[in-house]
Amino acid sequence: MATLSQKQIFKLPSCKRNDWRNALPKKYSDLEEKKIEVDCNDWSFSCRDLKQLINLLENIGIKLDKIYAKRTETVVSASSLGISAQLILPRPDLQESNQSHKDSSAENSEGILFHKGTLRSGEQIEHEGHILVLGDVNPGAQVSATGDVMICGRLMGTAHAGKGGKTSAKIVALQLRPLQLRIANQIARGPEEKPKDGLAEEALIQKGTIVIQPANSNGFCK
Amino acid sequence: MAPNTRIILICSGKGGVGKTTLTANLGIALAQQGVKTAVLDADFGLRNLDLLLGLENRIVYTAQEVLEETCRLDQALVKHKRESNLALLPAGNPRMLDWLKPDDMQRIVSMLAEKFDYVLIDCPAGVEDGFKNAASAAQEAIVITTPEISAVRDADRVIGLLNTKSIKPIQLVLNRVRPKMIASQEMLSVNDVTDILALPLLGLVLEDEQVIVSTNRGEPLTLTGSKSPAARCYGNVARRLQGEDIPLIDPSKEGQSLRDKFRRLMATKIF
Ligand SMILES: Nc1ncnc2c1ncn2[C@@H]1O[C@H](COP(=O)(O)OP(=O)(O)OP(=O)(O)O)[C@@H](O)[C@H]1O
Ligand SMILES: [Mg+2]
Repeated sequence: MATLSQKQIFKLPSCKRNDWRNALPKKYSDLEEKKIEVDCNDWSFSCRDLKQLINLLENIGIKLDKIYAKRTETVVSASSLGISAQLILPRPDLQESNQSHKDSSAENSEGILFHKGTLRSGEQIEHEGHILVLGDVNPGAQVSATGDVMICGRLMGTAHAGKGGKTSAKIVALQLRPLQLRIANQIARGPEEKPKDGLAEEALIQKGTIVIQPANSNGFCK
Repeated sequence: MAPNTRIILICSGKGGVGKTTLTANLGIALAQQGVKTAVLDADFGLRNLDLLLGLENRIVYTAQEVLEETCRLDQALVKHKRESNLALLPAGNPRMLDWLKPDDMQRIVSMLAEKFDYVLIDCPAGVEDGFKNAASAAQEAIVITTPEISAVRDADRVIGLLNTKSIKPIQLVLNRVRPKMIASQEMLSVNDVTDILALPLLGLVLEDEQVIVSTNRGEPLTLTGSKSPAARCYGNVARRLQGEDIPLIDPSKEGQSLRDKFRRLMATKIF
């Protein structure tokens, strides 16, 4: 079958078995591509598990290009290994009903992606939903989200909030001195002067342009 | 593998920031302190560690022949002519660019680890295969950078990659520091660099013309017992690596002539 993308996605079955290794296919001959994406489903992969998976695939000449996962742990492990990862949350109607807001608008069904640790030059995280980084985003690193980008640390790289067009998205950081900011389809260079320390700032679109202002006290890491 | 051998990768990302110079000087300095040290030239596409150590004309074999078992390890090791605790091993031959794989690297390093206390691996520039091979056998790393935005950016990238390989600890050496330029804010300060890279600072190395002179002679500064600023810095890096607690030099107090120092002293006395 002709696929739109040139990559093949390999989906792990739901995690009923005790070890993900048992869930891998016995032979890989049906994987023709040199790069694949793996859907980790509801398995929780530690960095070590992921590294083993990468090695397994590498031994047969296949590069792991991206993973999808339902568990944030897996996404965090992947991001810290520099693999692009995407969190897939179960559809709200399938979730347990202890959630207060059951309003099924696309926005509420989006999850928050947590990333703990500094993102270094060349590293990148991308997520459908909000992103919360606990650490710095160094020059040359990139964060992009369809929702808000929140950084409990210094933003010195590039951030894109509202990717896909959401103009109400914002970027919040404890220190906002990015190389470049993008919100929805707007692009702005970072400010020349350094911000004052200890003052969280946010960037958002006002009257069609990106402005930076002191962060609203309830806007950060809420 | 001998349990106590320290296998240290010396890398930078950006080319020409001083990896090979550091490897050579550190190798000599450690050897002088009495520890058996091997320097492995993993940058064999453009190998020049042998040049800096003045050993170019003594190379007969490389790690390649050792692994193929056409020679023994001690035949391939080139002992330094004046510092017998130091030996050089070229990882490969410039003609065999794609020969070395991570596996080979690990095998050769574990052979070295049986004979030496330190194995220093001079890494090629870049973050591609050459870097990955060199890094595959390392346990810890020294990232070297200069106070320039591009070098710092590349160092940051390399640190990110080292983190994914569980190489620990990763320490920083800041090379080619020019106190005058820092004072006039024409150069990133030490803080600017450590602020971004967030690594423990193993040492600063001052910009020093003597480095170039010694390179051309094939005699690392630390070998000749030179009192030049960089020689002192390299010596300190080696001693800190060995666990000695030596304060960092203060760039704002360096690089002044005796007369300047005297004048400053006077100034502080008077006011
Ligand atoms: N502290 C210093 N002061 C002055 N010159 C220096 C200093 N350190 C290095 N250099 C000079 O910088 C140049 C590059 O150094 P070196 O070859 O060690 O870099 P490298 O990182 O190994 O380069 P490559 O990436 O090509 O392997 C050399 O000419 C060397 O003499
Ligand atoms: Mg070199």
